[in-house]
Amino acid sequence: MTAALRILFETTGRRVTVAHTVAEAVEKGCSDPPDLVLLDLTLPDGDGLEVPASLKRRGVAPKAMVALTGRDDPESLARCSAAGITAVMVKPVPTKELLRRAKEWLA
Amino acid sequence: MTGVGTPSQLSPKSPHNPPVKPDARYAALEAMYNQAIAEIADMRSRDALKTQFLANISHDLRTPLTAVITHAEILRDGMLGPLTDRQLESVRGIIAGGRQLLDQVGEILTYARGAADQLTLAPSTFKFAEVVHQVVSLNESLLGKKNLKLTVDVPEQLPPLFADREKVAHVLGNLVGNAIDFTPAGGRVWVKAAVRESELLAEVGDTGIGIAMEHHEFIFEEFAQVDASASRQHHGTGLGLTIAQKLVELHRGRIWVESELGGGSRFYFTIPYSKDAG
Repeated sequence: MTAALRILFETTGRRVTVAHTVAEAVEKGCSDPPDLVLLDLTLPDGDGLEVPASLKRRGVAPKAMVALTGRDDPESLARCSAAGITAVMVKPVPTKELLRRAKEWLA
Repeated sequence: MTGVGTPSQLSPKSPHNPPVKPDARYAALEAMYNQAIAEIADMRSRDALKTQFLANISHDLRTPLTAVITHAEILRDGMLGPLTDRQLESVRGIIAGGRQLLDQVGEILTYARGAADQLTLAPSTFKFAEVVHQVVSLNESLLGKKNLKLTVDVPEQLPPLFADREKVAHVLGNLVGNAIDFTPAGGRVWVKAAVRESELLAEVGDTGIGIAMEHHEFIFEEFAQVDASASRQHHGTGLGLTIAQKLVELHRGRIWVESELGGGSRFYFTIPYSKDAG
């Protein structure tokens, strides 16, 4: 999935950094602060929703942080919103819609 | 052979051996009973493990599948360069197949979560008519392909439900999907709803092949398909009605079928109008 999203954003001229764990996302997010974060919620070393808080504590403030998840039930949505997530998109994320909304988030 | 339980010892009529005292027979029965209880507990825990495995594996299958679909969509949308018409047709086939597989994996995941009692309701207030329109519009292209006519008789002014909207849509989607699947071209499918006592009563009917009376209970059982042969015309996980039943019962509603072979089918389900659903 990360490869597909990397290709998608690279074709629109964006620079993409891929991380596979919470720790890696926080580390890379701090060393090269991103404009947009796309987050999977189930990561090998923990809950993807730990990433926004960790970045914030280290003074990193992306324009948007978007959760890509398998479920959009009210409980999951509430958890995302409490964690400071800008938007939630259900996988498989429609690529055209993702790019269209990314334009708005990055404007 | 002198152990307890040999035929000669258990026979009270044996002239050489005195009859076994009732206490000893009770003890033997009790031991057998305890062993059966232990075996049932063991089987239940194995069953629970398998169900959990099913839930895990179907969740894990979604990840690579969504990646396949996204890669194919990137190609379809020409983001890596223009495609010829035949390449586009082929890529669209990958996306359609991937989405179908994803739906089926989703059904297995819902079933496994239901079997493990891991499904919870997230109720909200909504109009049933909106859910009907959503399900109908999702099925429009399929209806067109099979030349089926779908009619909806769901009054907008029905009192709103307080229920798990997504799960009610899932139930209706499975029933409408079956109706379309099992109705030959040129047939009719309908969705009706009305208030009966303190419940919403919904009906999904069709003029399809129908279901023999002896199969009416069987079809709600997991993995059940009346024609389970490899050459069967109707494919799917065989979980659609099991899931529909689970989701309706989670709302404390009921689901049943009225049908006869060759006479179409009418599936009914109820959702109570109480605030304490689930």
